[in-house]
Amino acid sequence: MRIKFINIALGLLFSLLGAGLFNLQVIQGAKFSALSDKNCIRLIEQSGTRGKIIDRDGNIIVDSYLSYDLLLSAMDVKSAYSTLEAVSRVLGTPLEVLKKRLRRNFTGTSVPAIIAVNIGLNKAIALEELKADYPSIIVYPHPLRHYPYGPLACHTIGYLSEIDHWRLTKLEDYGYKTKDIVGYTGVEEKYDYYLRQEEGGLAMQVDHRGGFVRTLGFRPPQSGKDIQLTLDIKIQKAAEQAFSQRKGSCIIMDPDSGEILALVSTPGFDPSVFVEKPGSSLVSDIFTDPDHVLVDRSINGTYPAASVFKLVVATAALEEGKLDPSRAFTCTGSLHIGKREFKCWSIHGSQDMREAIAHSCDVFFYHTGLLVGPQQIHDYALKFGFGRSTGSDLPYESIGLVPDPLWKKLYRFKNWYDGDTANFAIGQGELLVTPIQIVRMMAVFANEGSLVAPFVVKAVAGRDVYSAQKKITKMRLKKSTIDLIRQGLRQAVTDPSGTANALADIPVSAAGKTGTAQVSRGSPHGWFAGFFPFEKPRFVICVFLEHGGSGGAAAHVAKQIIEEMSKEGSV
Amino acid sequence: MRRINFSLLGLTLAITAIGISCIYSSVYQNEGRLWQAICERQILWVGMGLVLFFSFAAFNYRRLWDATVILYVLVLLLLLFVFVSGVVRLGAQRWLKIAWFNFQPSEVAKLAMAIFLARYYSKKPSDSIALAVNKLDALHGFILPLIFVAMPTGLVIEQPDLGSGLIIFFIFIAITLIAGVRLRYVMIFLAAGFSMSPLLWHFLKDYQRDRLMVFLNPNIDPLGAGYTVIQAKIAIGSGWLFGKGWLGGTQSQLHFLPESHTDFIFSTFAEEWGFLGSCVLLVLYYMLVRKGLSIGMRSHDYFGKLLAFGISLMLGIQICVNIAMNLGLAPVVGIPLPLMSYGGSSIIVTFSALGILASIERRT
Repeated sequence: MRIKFINIALGLLFSLLGAGLFNLQVIQGAKFSALSDKNCIRLIEQSGTRGKIIDRDGNIIVDSYLSYDLLLSAMDVKSAYSTLEAVSRVLGTPLEVLKKRLRRNFTGTSVPAIIAVNIGLNKAIALEELKADYPSIIVYPHPLRHYPYGPLACHTIGYLSEIDHWRLTKLEDYGYKTKDIVGYTGVEEKYDYYLRQEEGGLAMQVDHRGGFVRTLGFRPPQSGKDIQLTLDIKIQKAAEQAFSQRKGSCIIMDPDSGEILALVSTPGFDPSVFVEKPGSSLVSDIFTDPDHVLVDRSINGTYPAASVFKLVVATAALEEGKLDPSRAFTCTGSLHIGKREFKCWSIHGSQDMREAIAHSCDVFFYHTGLLVGPQQIHDYALKFGFGRSTGSDLPYESIGLVPDPLWKKLYRFKNWYDGDTANFAIGQGELLVTPIQIVRMMAVFANEGSLVAPFVVKAVAGRDVYSAQKKITKMRLKKSTIDLIRQGLRQAVTDPSGTANALADIPVSAAGKTGTAQVSRGSPHGWFAGFFPFEKPRFVICVFLEHGGSGGAAAHVAKQIIEEMSKEGSV
Repeated sequence: MRRINFSLLGLTLAITAIGISCIYSSVYQNEGRLWQAICERQILWVGMGLVLFFSFAAFNYRRLWDATVILYVLVLLLLLFVFVSGVVRLGAQRWLKIAWFNFQPSEVAKLAMAIFLARYYSKKPSDSIALAVNKLDALHGFILPLIFVAMPTGLVIEQPDLGSGLIIFFIFIAITLIAGVRLRYVMIFLAAGFSMSPLLWHFLKDYQRDRLMVFLNPNIDPLGAGYTVIQAKIAIGSGWLFGKGWLGGTQSQLHFLPESHTDFIFSTFAEEWGFLGSCVLLVLYYMLVRKGLSIGMRSHDYFGKLLAFGISLMLGIQICVNIAMNLGLAPVVGIPLPLMSYGGSSIIVTFSALGILASIERRT
């Protein structure tokens, strides 16, 4: 009887064990299998190299070099202290600092924790030798962005940083992961998909101490594609040097194709800070700089266009036949419109269109603007590409603002008066433009009637993207209109009283228009937009000085740049 | 007198062979003579065990009846000796160093207690089948043997080796039940034991409390006391249906699983042979224990009967507790898996016990 009971109990016990086995091995098998793999399989990522960025002549603007990080795969924090002592002797970093880093970065057994980043090659070799005694040391080589020219063209290039939440949600479907390093602004962001490398990796089996046992698999990393820019490093350098400490922007562009040869926005920043010292105060300094160094003023800064906008008014007047080309107005230094007196910056006397452009006579354009009317000025401004994107391949372009009576009614709840038209005609008031829009407008006069889309990327991985980028719109302007305005622009340089006379004695024949934008606070902005050589223009240039005082100052910067360019033999 | 029954020896040898292959696998990745020697030493133990098996099988088990008192005193002395000058290993004083061999007297104590109890409850001459155990009062039927068993058990628990102590206690309960001691004595005793258990908590060593706590929730200390439990479950679970193959277990081979060749050898086996292999092993063990019980059933001699039941249940409970602790169904107590775990004392005692079983069967 009792024997029977014991037999049954024994049977039940063994069945229970069988059930336990079934539960662990069959029902929960997948879970434990994954845990087992996690125990013994380590993935060592090997990153390929991000694509290079080169200028139009093949000079390297950005490339990568091999940097070494020190990682520690420790069982727990305390057991790694002896290793850290040895590491501290090699690196010369105080032991306490290393301990703190380990405590902060330690996530779990045998998960490598980053101890030091960007250690030099010599230290990397010394640590690699230590590995014999301290097997938990991992020296991890990976490519890091290298900027041979420092901050040169930093806005066009952009910088690299860890992917943020917004970009991650946007790019997750394209294979981006958290902690990925991606481009921010400029070409690095716009062409990130081409530039980025494909991660490869090594799957290896480790034992309980994280020691290497065997390699399970390897996928070779893929390097990113190289990108060739239209920028010319020599011109870019010349332009940046001419700015020295001044704030502003400069764009030099090929008027026929829209290739940007130089794109300057000052003050700039050092993009290497983001890769070499991520998370340091240097990075936050860049973000909090009162001069907003990260803003690309050439595509992102919106400013009043000032006198440069007069070319749009002139074109509208001539095209629409609102003004006879030989018609002259007399400038007495000011003009009464309504109850207000609108001033000119000087007293010019009798001015026809050509002279008015050369001297930038405000009174002439008050008259012209009133003849043309705000709506038509607005339409022509849009035709010249203001108030909308230029179609360039740089991200985060501002579109500026071109007002008209309806806009004013809708957004300012006010009627449009003739005074507004007068202000509008000389590029003041609500009008806001970006330097790249100005250079695009000027290109129309240089290439005799085509609106081009500026671009900075010439080729991706050796394949020309020029033809795809080229978006040239014929404006269908009368030849007489363009010729007349071009003569005015040339006269601004050649005429001793012309506003851009500073450019008279440079080795090439230039033409251009200055502008001085009044601002509510601080000294006025200075504009210069022009092209050279006058006979057969190869370059359009726009110099903008933020609170630079006057258009004359901008013309002087342009002069410096053009002189440097001709010295270099670029012209 | 019959010849040694093949099925008992066959089952024993089959399980032992599985055990040796498993030990080979678990030390396979280790470099160094010491680890390589482990497998060879286990084979040596098994060889010695086989010699003992055949000696005991040839030996008339009734002689043990006569030698019980000597055996009891000997075990008590051995345990006392461990207490005085035992080898301390892994924080416990369980071993006696005899020449080059560390001997674990608590293993012998289990078998000796089974023999002692069988002898105690079968006072009548061997040819008499009837037994007047029913007539024994509480003092002679339960309390006296309890005191006799409690003395060596207390010494074993003090080593500390709670697992072996509990096994001896279980053997005691099982034999009293089979011997026909009044159920109410046993029940009262068990009830008293359970009601005392909160008090017993205070007598546990710190590591034993930790083990109990991690048995309830291994994740409270995943790198400390709970580590083994978690790794054993991972090892067994990751075996799936067919296992990772011999020498292919990552948990055991790469040392994530501690004690993979001793107490946790079942995990090593289950990882490499999967659910199917583990079921085969379970069935083999079940058949072995059933074989032992059936020997007891068929024995006409009351001493032989009780001894066979005692030995079978001693093995059975060790098997169940060890496997249950591998599966995470029981707290970790240091009980080896009979016939499979590495260890000279366990192998020798188990083979001797099986030899006695064979002897009982031959003389039925």
